[in-house]
Amino acid sequence: MSLSDTATPAASAAQPPRTPSASAVTKELVAKAGATRRRNAAKWKLRIGAVCTLIVIIPILLAQVLPLPDANHQDLSARRLAPLVDGHLFGTDQLGRDLLSRVLHGGQVSLTIGILAVVVSGAIGIILGAAAGYFGGWVDTVVSRVLEAQMSLPLLMMLLLVVALFGPSIPVITFVIAIAQWPEVARLTRSMVLVEREKPYVSAARILGLHRIQILIQHIIPNVIKQATLVVLLLLAQAVLLESALSFLGAGPQRPFATWGRIISDGQDYITTSWWMVTLPGLVIVLMVVGVNLLGDGLRDRPRRKKKGA
Amino acid sequence: MTTYILKRLGQGLLTVFLTVSTVFVLIRLAPGDPAVSYAGPLATTEQLAKVREQFGLDRPVLEQYWIFLQQLFTGNLGTSYSFQAPAMQVVAERMPYTLTLATASILLTAVVAIPLGVWMARRPDTNRELGVNVLTIAGQSMPDFWTGIMLLTGFAVLIPLFPASGFATWGGLVLPTVTIAILQIALISRMVRREMTSNFAAPYLTVARSRGVGSPALTWRYAMGNSAIPVFTALGTRFAAMLNGVVVVEVVFAWPGVGSLIVRALETRDYPLIQATVLLTALLAVAVQLVIDLAYPLLDPRVRLGKAAAA
Repeated sequence: MSLSDTATPAASAAQPPRTPSASAVTKELVAKAGATRRRNAAKWKLRIGAVCTLIVIIPILLAQVLPLPDANHQDLSARRLAPLVDGHLFGTDQLGRDLLSRVLHGGQVSLTIGILAVVVSGAIGIILGAAAGYFGGWVDTVVSRVLEAQMSLPLLMMLLLVVALFGPSIPVITFVIAIAQWPEVARLTRSMVLVEREKPYVSAARILGLHRIQILIQHIIPNVIKQATLVVLLLLAQAVLLESALSFLGAGPQRPFATWGRIISDGQDYITTSWWMVTLPGLVIVLMVVGVNLLGDGLRDRPRRKKKGA
Repeated sequence: MTTYILKRLGQGLLTVFLTVSTVFVLIRLAPGDPAVSYAGPLATTEQLAKVREQFGLDRPVLEQYWIFLQQLFTGNLGTSYSFQAPAMQVVAERMPYTLTLATASILLTAVVAIPLGVWMARRPDTNRELGVNVLTIAGQSMPDFWTGIMLLTGFAVLIPLFPASGFATWGGLVLPTVTIAILQIALISRMVRREMTSNFAAPYLTVARSRGVGSPALTWRYAMGNSAIPVFTALGTRFAAMLNGVVVVEVVFAWPGVGSLIVRALETRDYPLIQATVLLTALLAVAVQLVIDLAYPLLDPRVRLGKAAAA
């Protein structure tokens, strides 16, 4: 690591003039250095991640525009057709519904739930985490205790309980996933605000006579929000997985379209005769979650040039 | 030390109590009548009233809570509606199955994930490592129910190596264990990599290397020694979480554990059974957490539990 830190600036300084430099650092050495490899790895993760995500997300967004059969249209004469038969790219299910259309329309619901859940949990997490870090004292005690308590709760069991009891509507499921996810954001925000709080600009703002809440909202939160939002992508991946697990267990939304977990659990009974009904929707989930995870990972590992320059 | 244990026990019991009370409130808040699901949709009003009286559901909520608290301290949570047996007994009979599955999964995870994480940390961002890294990301991106069904189809139906469901022979343990372990290995190995990389970059390691300490000792005694606590904590926390029922995997493989029990209890609104499951699993999870904390001084001689509690 220490080698690479000294190697990179030397190389970038040597490159533009194109004159033979006296530096012993050759291009090969730079290419082998830890920092270069790290940057390349992050670049590849971002590329693969973007491709995987877009392959899934673009068709989902265009589901209404694409020439697809209606997702809920049943045709009992075309039951369990294999993929690519009769223009059904993913085949059909046990009621003759077009599987691709079901997956895309279900994906819209899954994604909506995921994004809403992440927005809600992000908002709760950032507000409570920032308050806990900045104000300290009893606010911190209360928030930290709630965080700890939630860690020791049987999470999936509680989520199932809430959904089973209050019905699998989209708001309930979104809320439940948000509740499951806010601790992660809150803990991260709290730890970053604890660091920011001690910086000189906060004292300066205080001396200028700004109110504490104003300092927190106008000055501290803008400084931490960029890093906090990096977690959001990872949370979105988790949210999609959690939603599919809930809907697999029968605690997922039914209207307007069945989501991914539900489609897979429907197809489970036909796995020996119609492999595509489980395999293909599952692959779609994997592709998208891998993509989102890779994007999140790559963004986190990417060297932040602006900060280094400043 | 004793004060520390007592304090942690107190906190743990408080958590269990709050959990159980939350569940009590949630159940009563929710729409839906357990008497209907017990007596069936064709029951007459008189029959429903009788069922409610039998289970004390016609009393005021506060009185129900008082009765519930009394039951809680005598360890008798009433009769399960659907099993017609003491709820605690029903859960206790299922517990060993979940324990077996969780233990097997965490052992497999530890055996694979720790060496894998170390391997990745020793050659970060090389092409091979990047490949494995992407694989671990894939591992944590696969929904476990889907992995389960795929393994089931592959190794129980197409190539009948293992039984498809239940726990009649030890072979039945393989597929559910592997399903759980795939996700856990992905998570834990990435965590090991993170811990080890930061330790490899630490100054004390450079000092040790310059003193001529060999590579295996640097990796395992120095870096691993300092990563032991976070890794052990992660493994322990995952294990504790699994005791709450590996719900999804148990459902896929029809595993007779607590996880599939809770799904059934929720479907039938079996109040005593839900309460008994939550109580027992929460107690076990708290106990495991306590054991993890008590093991810290063994892993790191610098840790003094009594002082940590005072600070």
